[in-house]
Amino acid sequence: MPVATTPPPATPAAPPPHKWSRRHLLGLDGLTAGEVRALLRAAAAYVPVATSTQTDTQELAGRTVATLFFEDSTRTRTSFTLAARRLGAGVVDLSSGASSVNKGESLLDTARTVEAMGVSGIVVRAKQAGAAELIARGVSCAVVNAGDGKHEHPTQGLLDLLTLAEAHGRQDALDLSGLTLVIVGDVVSSRVARSAIAGARLLGARVVCVGPPALAPASLAALGCEVSGDLDAVLPIADAVMMLRVQFERHEGSESLRSPSVPSPREFRTLFGLTRERADRMKPGAVVMHPGPMNRGLEIDGEVADGPRSVIRTQVSRGVAVRMAALRLCIG
Amino acid sequence: MSHILITGGRVIDPASSLDRVVDVALRNGLVAEIGTGLTRTPADRVIDAEGLLVAPGLIDPHVHLREPGQEHKETLGSGSQAAVAGGFTTVCCIPNTSPALDSPEMIGFVEHRARATAACRIFAVGSLTKGRKGEEPAEISLMARAGAVGFSDDGDGVASPAVMARVLAAVKATGLALMQHCQEPTLTRGASIHAGTIATRLGLTGWPRVAEELMIERDIRLNRAIGCRYHVQHISSEGSADLIRRARAAGQPVSAEASPHHLILTHEACDHYDTAAKMNPPLREQRDVDALRAAVADGTITVLATDHAPHTADEKALPFEEAPFGIIGLESALALYAEALVHSGAIDWPRLIALLTIEPARLCNLDRPSPHRPALGSLAPGGPADVTLIDPDARWIFSAEHIKGRSRNTPFLGRAMRSRAVLTIVGGTIAHQVQR
Repeated sequence: MPVATTPPPATPAAPPPHKWSRRHLLGLDGLTAGEVRALLRAAAAYVPVATSTQTDTQELAGRTVATLFFEDSTRTRTSFTLAARRLGAGVVDLSSGASSVNKGESLLDTARTVEAMGVSGIVVRAKQAGAAELIARGVSCAVVNAGDGKHEHPTQGLLDLLTLAEAHGRQDALDLSGLTLVIVGDVVSSRVARSAIAGARLLGARVVCVGPPALAPASLAALGCEVSGDLDAVLPIADAVMMLRVQFERHEGSESLRSPSVPSPREFRTLFGLTRERADRMKPGAVVMHPGPMNRGLEIDGEVADGPRSVIRTQVSRGVAVRMAALRLCIG
Repeated sequence: MSHILITGGRVIDPASSLDRVVDVALRNGLVAEIGTGLTRTPADRVIDAEGLLVAPGLIDPHVHLREPGQEHKETLGSGSQAAVAGGFTTVCCIPNTSPALDSPEMIGFVEHRARATAACRIFAVGSLTKGRKGEEPAEISLMARAGAVGFSDDGDGVASPAVMARVLAAVKATGLALMQHCQEPTLTRGASIHAGTIATRLGLTGWPRVAEELMIERDIRLNRAIGCRYHVQHISSEGSADLIRRARAAGQPVSAEASPHHLILTHEACDHYDTAAKMNPPLREQRDVDALRAAVADGTITVLATDHAPHTADEKALPFEEAPFGIIGLESALALYAEALVHSGAIDWPRLIALLTIEPARLCNLDRPSPHRPALGSLAPGGPADVTLIDPDARWIFSAEHIKGRSRNTPFLGRAMRSRAVLTIVGGTIAHQVQR
């Protein structure tokens, strides 16, 4: 099937393809396929720099990026920090323990204070959905969402897309049509899943979410995906399986009822765990992804996470390149 | 308290089925005469009401005036200014204050503060349970004697069926209505928006219709053996309207109110985490909006109420899930009701005015005199001169200058409006006037 990487100029108002002109990266939902491809192309170009131990670019030399993490994170913050440094930017870190959020200051006031100190970009992680958009409306520097509650985690979604495209030889066209991405587990609480679904749909992939009704409710179809409760039925059609961690801490409502969304780890693993037996039934060339952190032995067997289908380490390495692209394009 | 002669307006008094172009004379704070060719006295201030509707003063049975406890958001005084600006001459304030209005002393506090500071009549709705905690019934009978005009724990529903059965019986003994905020709490923990596509996309916990419907259904069943006047506040869903319709058809003493925002907006207004559209119960979908309008048209919903809920800009600037629920409503309500119900063709002006006067008066037993006040909700000669003049075709853009209360949290700023209260008279005194 011929793949159109450049849409025909149907109307004069149509945006140019592969062009990024936004100030912020808040989510993948709402972007155009061209914008997602612009980010991925930039990221792909940074892969050699991102994975080298030597060379840096100086594209953002003299600029400063603030990482404003109101919620604990080690890997994402480290990844953004490395990305900024590889671009030659300075990095200041304000994680919640050190910031005045603990003194009652609002998210927005903290962000404005940081901006006033002369930063060019703010990377924000917060437990509240919409936090990044709220901050973006209140500051004039670039804002990159590093995860807002259950909403989105766009750089994670982009690194998933880049990994997926590379695994199936689609890195040039960045077109995923004909591929099926299966996302398994705690989709309802997952900002990673929301970003991955939005991005994969934009690039033409089919997305099927699988889990128990409490974690993969039928309402997820609003995101443009299909929903199933039967992993064994879906697994044979998967070109990539993304396993998600059960986020017990985000099921507040259920916790207060003293009835977790998952009756037991045993039931979850039996129905939805990516065991070695299940991985063996995946079709040739299909890959296994996990955004981390993993619960080995619960949603994924260690043998699968470290096995031949796993592209989990590629995901991590692409993270730095994607974050370089996001910072470079937004800070400009 | 001058003598006022209102001439040439279309006088609509649903309580007496009056709908004619006649004059209305107000003297000494009372309606003196209604008729044609009324004699002018030199003392009269003559108001030419040609082209206007002359209605009994509007009544809102559900407003949050925040006093005592949150006077930075609203007070009885500032809330009354918002009320008269919107054409309301009487409002009933809801007891989720701090402390709650859960004792006869607190009901008396509202009466005294209102008399000292308010530009309109304000009556208190008392709490159903002590401290609004849903555990122990409050002193419902003593509050009724002190002048409470209904009972509610609004903000929360009474979750326990056992407590609900007790307060239904206690309110029944007063002859007043129990006004329930219907929200089954275990189904809405952490919820901030309608359980629909926007919630799914934004990663917010959804508040499903069934949480409202389940409590209505439970209450109707509990109340069958008790027979209290049971009123559902701010209904938001198609299914709720169906439940009310069936209960009324079965002859049960059940009523319901709708709020302007639920008659106009859907959950789409919350996109981009717009906290101005965050309210409880949440904005739902177009089919719910259509069903609520139809329920007003077929007589299922008999009362309109703003649920006026002031909050500061700082609070509404919080992340969506942390921002408080609620919007102000008094200044914009009439035009929004007219848009949703009259200009849409669902009902006519006399019915809309009934929904805003005699119907809420009946809900709160204001239609009959008490030791605390005269009968309200109609234009009967000898009754109080509470009158609202409405320009049905006034075109205006709702903007900050029209807001007379202390808070500005509304999603309707900038909306093109048609119809407006242009003159509000409370007890014979002009409390608000728009220069034509």
